[in-house]
Amino acid sequence: MLADLARRAVDLAAGALEAVRAARRHPPRRVRLERFGAIVQLVAPRALVFVDRAYARTLLGAAATWPDPETALGDVPLSAPLEAHLQITNKCAAGCVGCYTGASAEGAPNELDLAGWCRALDALADAGVFHVALGGGESAALPWLGDLVDHARRRGIVPNLTTSGLDGLPGLLAIADRFGQINVSLDGASPATYAAVRGFDGFARADAAVRALRARKRAVGINVVVTRHNFAELDAIFAYAAARRLSEVELLRFKPSGRGARAYADLRCSDAQHRAFLPTILAAAKKHAVRVKVDCSYTPMLAHHAPARALLAELAVYGCTGGDFLVGAKPDGRLTACSFAAPPPPDATGERPRVEALAAYWDRPDAFGAFRTWRAAAEPCASCTYLALCRGGCRVVAAHTAGSAAAPDPECPRVVDHGRAAAARPVVRLPLL
Amino acid sequence: MTRPARGKILAIKWGMNPNSSSLGIDVTFLLAGATALAIATPVIGALLRWRKPRPTPAPDAG
Repeated sequence: MLADLARRAVDLAAGALEAVRAARRHPPRRVRLERFGAIVQLVAPRALVFVDRAYARTLLGAAATWPDPETALGDVPLSAPLEAHLQITNKCAAGCVGCYTGASAEGAPNELDLAGWCRALDALADAGVFHVALGGGESAALPWLGDLVDHARRRGIVPNLTTSGLDGLPGLLAIADRFGQINVSLDGASPATYAAVRGFDGFARADAAVRALRARKRAVGINVVVTRHNFAELDAIFAYAAARRLSEVELLRFKPSGRGARAYADLRCSDAQHRAFLPTILAAAKKHAVRVKVDCSYTPMLAHHAPARALLAELAVYGCTGGDFLVGAKPDGRLTACSFAAPPPPDATGERPRVEALAAYWDRPDAFGAFRTWRAAAEPCASCTYLALCRGGCRVVAAHTAGSAAAPDPECPRVVDHGRAAAARPVVRLPLL
Repeated sequence: MTRPARGKILAIKWGMNPNSSSLGIDVTFLLAGATALAIATPVIGALLRWRKPRPTPAPDAG
């Protein structure tokens, strides 16, 4: 036990040193003014700190001025996203049955090249974006990934990466130190579970990638798409992360997007699993002393356990923040509210918004459609005390299951209970006159 | 003379998000609850004041 704690302390300290060294080579953006005050980036510990205007003035002095009246955090969209999720290619030959991008060996039509993505990074840096999460397809296999990452660093953006670990590992190992955090997608703690979720057994190769990356870098974790097939294995997944001395486990809800739309009915978690999600993961995180992150679409499942709203707010726990805290970009550069969402409709000129033109689109009153209209949510969200944090749950699940991106997340336990209560209510038929 | 308001830290988003499909939220603090966060927040405040950010870092245009 003491040895475990000592090992964790060493990993934490060494990880902080790695982050400080990387920040010295390429200083990341430190601060961005917002209507509520400012967001300040810390390198060690790695954090984005949201402060009010009075606090910002104590840090920035006379440089901190705002043209508009102060609002509370969350009252209006941020001035720009915190992070952008760039699907820099849709090439990937793995063929996972639930791939949310529908990736293929051929990739997508009109994929941007290095110069195109560098222009996108320039636009994001100019807008004030702090981080990018690079994904695909399999981005690690791109020969120019290192050049792109260097460009992000030069522009003050911290690049992070998700990889399947199935392709491009030697090249990735050579540039691993340039990333803030690298996570390997690993959807099970055993070959059988990995195969049940992905449709083939890639466990040994993904595990080899985890071990090789962890030997080069401390900020390495795993992304786990939680499905009904691996839910029972969550404790084993945390045990795996502890054994490999990983920095985090990030748990993702299965989304009906790409090939995932066809596999959704088979892979999505049950209502009982959603209700058991929070206690299950916290017990596993505590038992194995591993840091746990969850994706924003899990906020309804957190709220189900009625945690203190103030605590959630202080931890920046928000539900759907697509088109606000985050944006996505398709391989051809089209802008999206999040990676799972379809691009916004074309404007009067027939053009869809592009990531290189983020700033021009961001402040449009109709920008990102239903992703920004959560304040007008229907019941049972409208009367939910967590609405300002949860924002109605996942828009992509709502669009697929309820037929409208503006509908309450149909898998939220509160929404499920509301539906059951409505169905159980006796129908009163008035006599016809 | 009145002291200028010190203001407050509204929220802390811990870590970085490598996942290119959603915003990763660190919920480890839910294990320890508000007390742990109440301890961590002043430490973060001290770090902010120790290394005050420059207003505009003007990153290299590459």
